Amino acid sequence: MKAFVPVRETNRTFLVGRLLLPAGAGLLFLLSACGQPERLAYDDEGRKRVEIWVHSGQVGERETIREQVEAFNEGQDAIRVTKTMIPEGDYNARVQAAALSGDLPDLLEFDGPFLYNYVWQGHLMPIDDLLSEEVRRDLLQSILEQGTYDGELYAVGVFDSGLGLYADRRGLEAVGARVPSGVDDAWSVEEFEAILAELFEASGGDPNLDLKVNYTGEWYCYAFSPILQSAGADLIDRETYATAEGVLNGPDAVRAMTHLQSWFQYGYVHPNIDDAAFVGREAVLSWSGHWDYDRYANALGEDLLVLPLPDFGEGSRTGQGSWTWGITRHAHHPEAAMRFLEFLLEPGEVLRMTEANGAVPARRAAIEQSGGFAEDGPLRLFVEQLETSAVPRPRTPAYPVITSVFESGFQDIRDGAEVKEVLDRMVRVIDQDIEDNRGYPRR
Amino acid sequence: MKRISRSGSFDGLFFAAPAILGLFLFVAVPFGIAIVLSFTNLRMGSPLETRFVGWEQYLRVLGDEAFRRALFNNAVFALVVVPVQTALALGLALLLNRQLRGRVIFRTLFFMPVVFPMALVAVVWKLLLAPGSEGLVNGLLESLTLGAWTPRDFLRDPWLALPSIMVMSIWQGVGFQMVIMLAGRQGVPEQLYEAASVEGAGPWRQFLHVTLPQMKNTIFFVVVVTTILAFRLFDQVDILTKGGPRLATTTVMYETVRTTFAEARVARAAAMTVIFFLIVVVLAFLQRKLLREEREVS
Repeated sequence: MKAFVPVRETNRTFLVGRLLLPAGAGLLFLLSACGQPERLAYDDEGRKRVEIWVHSGQVGERETIREQVEAFNEGQDAIRVTKTMIPEGDYNARVQAAALSGDLPDLLEFDGPFLYNYVWQGHLMPIDDLLSEEVRRDLLQSILEQGTYDGELYAVGVFDSGLGLYADRRGLEAVGARVPSGVDDAWSVEEFEAILAELFEASGGDPNLDLKVNYTGEWYCYAFSPILQSAGADLIDRETYATAEGVLNGPDAVRAMTHLQSWFQYGYVHPNIDDAAFVGREAVLSWSGHWDYDRYANALGEDLLVLPLPDFGEGSRTGQGSWTWGITRHAHHPEAAMRFLEFLLEPGEVLRMTEANGAVPARRAAIEQSGGFAEDGPLRLFVEQLETSAVPRPRTPAYPVITSVFESGFQDIRDGAEVKEVLDRMVRVIDQDIEDNRGYPRR
Repeated sequence: MKRISRSGSFDGLFFAAPAILGLFLFVAVPFGIAIVLSFTNLRMGSPLETRFVGWEQYLRVLGDEAFRRALFNNAVFALVVVPVQTALALGLALLLNRQLRGRVIFRTLFFMPVVFPMALVAVVWKLLLAPGSEGLVNGLLESLTLGAWTPRDFLRDPWLALPSIMVMSIWQGVGFQMVIMLAGRQGVPEQLYEAASVEGAGPWRQFLHVTLPQMKNTIFFVVVVTTILAFRLFDQVDILTKGGPRLATTTVMYETVRTTFAEARVARAAAMTVIFFLIVVVLAFLQRKLLREEREVS
């Protein structure tokens, strides 16, 4: 410390900047120092250490990434990758806490739409110069779009997502429902609701629709904001990213969310506590993503249908974007982290992962080799959707607040709250956050 | 205090030093920081500079429906759980103090839930409370009432969600209080009961005039501990209901954690904890005052 020097700052900034924050940081450092040793750049044998954080997804995904890490470590001598699995329910909270205490890993997997916030907070480094041109050219456009903010590429995923409506052919045939053949002839919401009513009657009043209400976290915004977009509404004004007023609480949004609420009120929605509603053939329809394909296909075999989400007026819409990999500013060896990432992006490895989780491969080379996504493949719909009807989640640092407020708003609507009131409250929270952050100025 | 200083305050301070240091570092300092932070607009991870915003956070928190509901829920929870759990623990302790066949087994059974982590217990209860007749509790009620009970979705019913959490919390926590009560009961000299029965007092009068007065300090201890635990209510809510349906089960702890970690609004959360702290301090003060007076009477 220097000797006492008169400070020019106002007392307030002085107090916060010079006293309080270091005191707080010091305390946090003390706390974190008690728990674990500092991250090492090299392991005992002199290999570069690359720590990665992975979301703990479905069993197949977990197994695959474990095998991939092993294969990579065995395949070369210079780099040692160690992985930590983080539950996906409150993944962002863990990242925020780790960022605060300086514990972020070198290579971080995270859900795509959080990218803009992480970049804004300064956690990620641009990877334009690290990623080879050959890989970049082969990536799906949606992957590059999701990973780019302010003109720089920060993250790439191994796969993109597919969101749709899984259906049990037997159940639909029992009520004589029409089976849509693609995005263009998706059920209209009225048709969808008529089918729900018939299914409900046919089952003697048992719920038939699985909306994965057993999930927590990102699911709600990912899976149900497409109904807003299909109705002509959205989460936020995408021209300015300055307000949600009139967009998230306009008449179209109210109409879409009122439809959704009615499904709960009529008793159509299966609580799905054990996540077995569809494989147990209690639910006939399951609003879910690519990650369930394998499990569903095993349980239903030929009876499994993959359909587009219902059309709320402006055409069927669906979600896109998925887990993606970015290199943090804490990385000791960014180029080593990229070597592992490029290993994951080798077409064979991409396929290995997407065969485990049913996701759309991020590389065109891999898509062509995969059976499921080829022309007439059972998962062709997901590729078709990415090309036509998928809407990326808003590219704004305000996204964590948007998704958090959407999740709690969804729960309120599910529990019978007045839709317009809930949406108004959501808009207030989002707009307040944007205002509090002075519109998230770019640097 | 006077007696301590006479017998050498240095020794006392020396031996208390680790605890005092711990309290200072992990309670007093963070709380001091929280007070200052509550007057700023600090958000976790934000690259914008932190500014002082005066009472803004307090005004927002107090104007927030969720926070007010959380305070209300905490109060209801404490008002119901503290007396019920204390009475139940006392009852169980007295029962299990008798010469009962298989006493050890009963004691173990009642104490077992305490050993399980709350997170585990909550997940199990989520399955027990499952809606529809597949849920164990619904199924049980259905067969007990010969089908008159219509299955309810306990955790999403605005009137049943908080009571469900209360029942679960009492079930999980009562064993701990029971053990303390049991120890307290065994500290009561048996001669007092002999004397009472010689003078013709039946079980009820023995309970009123021997057990209760003798166990007063134990009971007060249990009340204080249960009150503190009631205000800390978080795990069950996070796992079972996420504060829903429509704020029916949200608590101050739950709101604070969500504000900090899901929304990164550290300053706002700091203001919430300061308000909560003041309320708890007032309650603790009142409780202490009552306790003191009672002690003086005896």
